[in-house]
Amino acid sequence: MFKGKRIIWKGLTALVAGSLLLAACAPAVTPAPTVAPTSTVQPTVAPKPTDVPRATDAPTKAPEASPTTAAPTATATSVPAAFTSKPSGKTTASGFACPEPQPKMAVTASDLNLLVWTEYIPQDIIDCFEAVYGIKVNRKEYSANEEMLAVMMAGSTNFDLVQPTDYAISPLLRQNKLQKLDKTKLAVMPYFDPTYLNLSFDPGNDYSVPYEAGIDAIVYNADKIKTPPTSWADLWNPDYIKADRMISLDDSRAVIGATLLILGYDVNSRDPKQLEAARAKLAELARGIKLFDSDSPKTALIAGDVDLGITWTGDAFLANRENPAIKFVYPTEGAIVWQDNYVMPADAPHPDAAYAWINYSMQPDLFWLMLRDFPYTNPNKAALEWAKASQLQIQDQNGDNVTPADLYQTYINSTVTNPPPDAVKSGHRVEDLPDVTPLYDKIWTEIKSK
Amino acid sequence: MLKRLREHKSLQGTLLVSPALLWMIALLIIPLILVVITSFGQRDPDGNVIYGFSFDNYVRLTGTTDTCQNLGDYLNGAWQMIIGSEARTCFDPLYVQILWRSVLIAIETTALVIVMGYPLAYFVARAPIKRRSTLLFLILIPLWTNFVIRVYAWIRILRAFDILYTPGAVLIGMIYEFLPFMILPMYTSLEKIDPSLYEASADLGANSLRTFLRVTLPLSMPGVVAGTILVFVPVMGTFVVSDILGGKQFVLIGNLIQSQFLSARDPTFGSAASILLMVMTLIVMIFYTRKFGFGEEVIVG
Repeated sequence: MFKGKRIIWKGLTALVAGSLLLAACAPAVTPAPTVAPTSTVQPTVAPKPTDVPRATDAPTKAPEASPTTAAPTATATSVPAAFTSKPSGKTTASGFACPEPQPKMAVTASDLNLLVWTEYIPQDIIDCFEAVYGIKVNRKEYSANEEMLAVMMAGSTNFDLVQPTDYAISPLLRQNKLQKLDKTKLAVMPYFDPTYLNLSFDPGNDYSVPYEAGIDAIVYNADKIKTPPTSWADLWNPDYIKADRMISLDDSRAVIGATLLILGYDVNSRDPKQLEAARAKLAELARGIKLFDSDSPKTALIAGDVDLGITWTGDAFLANRENPAIKFVYPTEGAIVWQDNYVMPADAPHPDAAYAWINYSMQPDLFWLMLRDFPYTNPNKAALEWAKASQLQIQDQNGDNVTPADLYQTYINSTVTNPPPDAVKSGHRVEDLPDVTPLYDKIWTEIKSK
Repeated sequence: MLKRLREHKSLQGTLLVSPALLWMIALLIIPLILVVITSFGQRDPDGNVIYGFSFDNYVRLTGTTDTCQNLGDYLNGAWQMIIGSEARTCFDPLYVQILWRSVLIAIETTALVIVMGYPLAYFVARAPIKRRSTLLFLILIPLWTNFVIRVYAWIRILRAFDILYTPGAVLIGMIYEFLPFMILPMYTSLEKIDPSLYEASADLGANSLRTFLRVTLPLSMPGVVAGTILVFVPVMGTFVVSDILGGKQFVLIGNLIQSQFLSARDPTFGSAASILLMVMTLIVMIFYTRKFGFGEEVIVG
């Protein structure tokens, strides 16, 4: 036994020595980049000839995702004529110069606790907020609304702000988990395109502030897929199913919803017979699905693990930036449209920090960073205007030099980030269906365990 | 006071175990009771638990559907499934299949890990004493990195062989993950075998194969048993490997439980599945240890 002990000691010594050695060598080890950086930053998603394409449909309805038409419409008056950025003198670790908060709010809290989607807040914005306000930002992330709801419903949560998608707000309201927002403390409201305000899930925006919007639709790699799909039904192509190289969002409502649409049913069906039909239909597709992913669908698309499938706009845009062959299609049956929003839990411990966060992070001279980092459809018209006019020199994700104006042009010319009005108009919005959630979940479990 | 303590052996024992005991009661026994209570409850539309006493969650796990009249219907439905009929009469195989898949992958992983780990453990145990610590050290190196990060690293390797997001990828990940937990106890029991036993066996005329089968193998069994327990039980409940390497479409009982507490927001069904998993693991382990013992020689020695 004594001998054994000596061996153990020797082993421990070796472990320590080895770890020191490894620690010394560690900086030399650099992982190979996942994808070779492309030399250009200009995505080539069907460029449009002009960036003012919406003049025709302006009279009937506020134009979707088209800040450039703001000038002639009545809503333009609510947008500050020109937002003047002031420097704060602080810079982030990446060298980004933080603007001064307008207004700078009085905050006593030293922490801000966020419950937010994965990959959805630019690091520069967080760093700037921490630098300017001296408040520490704590983040817990989720990759499905249901996950967020599970956390929120579990009792006292200690979060200051949460980012639910439209349909996930009503269960929170029903359970009295949210507090009314004090609009006198919200400086950001005039910045938004009214298209994204006053929606059915929160009339009057008493509880929510828009963050970003997007669409779930079809993505495919044109190098691999010779006959591009144009509808949800096209995904059921036997060749695709046989190839077993499809990707799907890990989102029961979106994918079952799309299947219901093919069958001619409502995207929010509660009829068990219709849902059973959707299950059977979806089970055929499931044989061709290689990956369910809502964390970072772009990764598998860029790496070439999958050739086509269902994803959301932001990831499709980023995948396209890496590989121009990756295209995005709005299905003829209508895509799934959604909008993420900030809401404040009823028991938020630092509401003052939360208001400061909303105002600062979404202020025009900061929120345009979303165009670079998480380019979903941006409801913040003032931020888009600011980006359009700015010649600030910055680096994009690939380290290339760009200006916010370049990013704006890319954004506005892309049918992914700036979807055609038809795609939005024909889109379907998922609603909260509390009574049939277990049925959706059971179908989803079954589909995933094909 | 102190004198009383010195005299009372039983009091000393109680005091010594009490920190661990309190810990177990607070973080194991009480939560377990809560899980049992929750599993008999019902989910309200917003995912809150309505406490009560209903076996619905367990019935759901068995796959009994609304069309069932009696047990005969159910067994018939199960039989229809086994013979491959698509007709779903009174039997929904979903959860039974998930359970079966979990047991199967646990058995596969354990068996392959024994086959792969035994020669290595043998090699290390028979190496010169000076080199043993180095070899053990090499086996332990991967454990320094977080388990989830290592599984992510496998994505790149498996992608290169084009088997990412397949059942095979999950099995490879499981084997990789649990191999050290099999090698270490096997090594300990092999290392304890007195070398003079080999000499005695040779003196008595046994060749090396016979020595291995009659001496080495039986004496190392406690290590294999301890390793099996250390591997089989965690594989049954794991969900990370199947999520990351299986592309979320290789649902094991661990994934089912996780999804009930998160995406499905049905803690009652998740609790019932957890209890079922525990009971099943317990049954398998009781059956196994009755036959082979606990491998306590290794754990104690």
